[in-house]
Amino acid sequence: MKAFLGNRAFLVYLFGALAILPVIANPYIIFIGNLILIYMILALGLNLLVGFAGQFSLANAAMFGIGAYGAGLLQVSAKLPFWVALPGGALIAMAIGTIIALPALKLSGLYLGLATLAFAQFTQWVFFNWRPVTHGAGGFAIPEVDFSLLSLRSDLGIYYVSWLLAIFLIALAWNAMQSRIGRAFIAIRDGEIAAQALGINLFKYKTMAFALSGFYAGVAGGLYAALLNYVAPDSFDLFQVVMQKTMVVVGGLGSIVGSILGALFLVIANEGLRQFKSAQEIAFGALLLLSVLFMPDGIVVQIRKFLPGWNERFHAKPPSALLGGGTPASPSPADGIVDKREPR
Amino acid sequence: MFTYLLIGGLTSGSLYALVALGLVLIYKSTTIVNLALGDTLMIGGFLAFTFHVLFGLPYIPSLLLAVACGFVLGALTERFVLRRIINASMLPMLLATLGLSFVLRGTGRVIWGGKGDFIPFPPLVNTAPIVYGDMLILPQQFIVLGSAITIMAVLGVFLRTTRAGKWMQATADNKKAARLVGIPVERVYLYTFGVGAALACAAAVLMAPITMLFPDVGLLLFFKAFAAAILGGLTSLPGAVIGGLAIGVIETMAAGYIDTSLQDVAAFIVIMFALIFIPNGIFGIRGIRRV
Repeated sequence: MKAFLGNRAFLVYLFGALAILPVIANPYIIFIGNLILIYMILALGLNLLVGFAGQFSLANAAMFGIGAYGAGLLQVSAKLPFWVALPGGALIAMAIGTIIALPALKLSGLYLGLATLAFAQFTQWVFFNWRPVTHGAGGFAIPEVDFSLLSLRSDLGIYYVSWLLAIFLIALAWNAMQSRIGRAFIAIRDGEIAAQALGINLFKYKTMAFALSGFYAGVAGGLYAALLNYVAPDSFDLFQVVMQKTMVVVGGLGSIVGSILGALFLVIANEGLRQFKSAQEIAFGALLLLSVLFMPDGIVVQIRKFLPGWNERFHAKPPSALLGGGTPASPSPADGIVDKREPR
Repeated sequence: MFTYLLIGGLTSGSLYALVALGLVLIYKSTTIVNLALGDTLMIGGFLAFTFHVLFGLPYIPSLLLAVACGFVLGALTERFVLRRIINASMLPMLLATLGLSFVLRGTGRVIWGGKGDFIPFPPLVNTAPIVYGDMLILPQQFIVLGSAITIMAVLGVFLRTTRAGKWMQATADNKKAARLVGIPVERVYLYTFGVGAALACAAAVLMAPITMLFPDVGLLLFFKAFAAAILGGLTSLPGAVIGGLAIGVIETMAAGYIDTSLQDVAAFIVIMFALIFIPNGIFGIRGIRRV
């Protein structure tokens, strides 16, 4: 039973279905399928940083944008082929992600969140205003990627590239989170000072978390640019931040399968509401708000109640601890009598 | 040029200071940064627009009504959103207020128009500038600056003399001790959120005749106010005022002397650098890192 109903089996079914989707679906559905694959990569990258390593970053949309602009501009301005530009954009996002990690070594929680949010807004401002390089508010077009060697249509080619990369990056995250790296991330999330006391190098692992997350977002950005054949700053605004955050929280912080489910549901929901910007904002805002209030563990924990084999090794307890879960920690007598102004 | 920019900067800075006061007030007593405050401000501005322009009420009653609505909105935020997670860590609070901010923004967009709809607010007084020596002063700016200072003074008196104000200060100072002496801490949170939101709405109503109202204005104002609060140390009310004025002057000067597009990005740059280099701000209390 477990082998057929568990979360790994689910991933096999899901990617099997996504593999045959282009055979049976029209181009619009293929486009949605491709968006789902891209957002899976994005949500996973964000979850590695926020859900596993516990670094509350809001710069993920900026990394996504940097990946898209990096890959796009390498193709348009530097005339590089897609196959060089895609990893190039991802590496640029990874490098900038690493640079963001430096202030993150000093900041945490609230301050980190707002510093990265300011960085995200700053990045968007650069996209808008650094006209000689980024082409300003209008964005720029990218030539279609040529898949004629494989005798594939361009959209199908990008779809299967996304499919392969999504599988590869999910497997990478899965294995990395089971390894020493994943354990270090989780130790840092659950208690920075305790982790340090255990001999975990905070500098190394925090930087790694930001770099890894930046790389995932950069890959997703390059694929997004190739999918739309067009890059514009509007795609990387605060709504993008909220959408990715909602995917991760609804799916389940610290759960790989959760991010995949979150991306799947929310891309579909977003497409359904595409006509109405205000409805998108209300729906995603409310979804984020309600899942924080009523389902802080995410959808994965709900599924786990009904189906066997949905336990993830490191998702056993953590998210509600991460989210506070509504149960306040038992107060110690000295707690609060001392003037305590530090943010929790 | 310099004095003109300085007065313009102080005018917008006084509005940032009002919002920053709201942020700091809420942060001090609850350790929550209300990301939805900017969008509360937007709603307040549009409510004033509705009362003043659509219903034809005079300016002062519309201002008071909008501020009252802001108080209610802030109190509702506390009661139905944040009270549930008041004991949780920082992350859910930020996520919840981020979600709320989008709900408010979407609601504002549904009611008051689509993206890019800039709704003008009629000027209060004659818009002709007064020329004084080689200085050029807009009367509107004086009204805004004066009103902002008046509101700050009223807030100061409220915090020092009224029972609710003293409760708020006591709770901000030490939650547990406040509860011990019988202060209803939950109700104080409610008031604090209400007053914070009311301050933001007052800023919105003062701002509306100078700039324009649009559904995305909230986020921009939030960032500027947050930059102000960070500069001031996030726990200091006078710091918030000085930080607000500083941000206003910095961005106006940057826009005037370097490049106009810097107007909107100056706040972000200040936030990033302030957080990295002076995380406790100018007037902040050095935080104790607890294990």
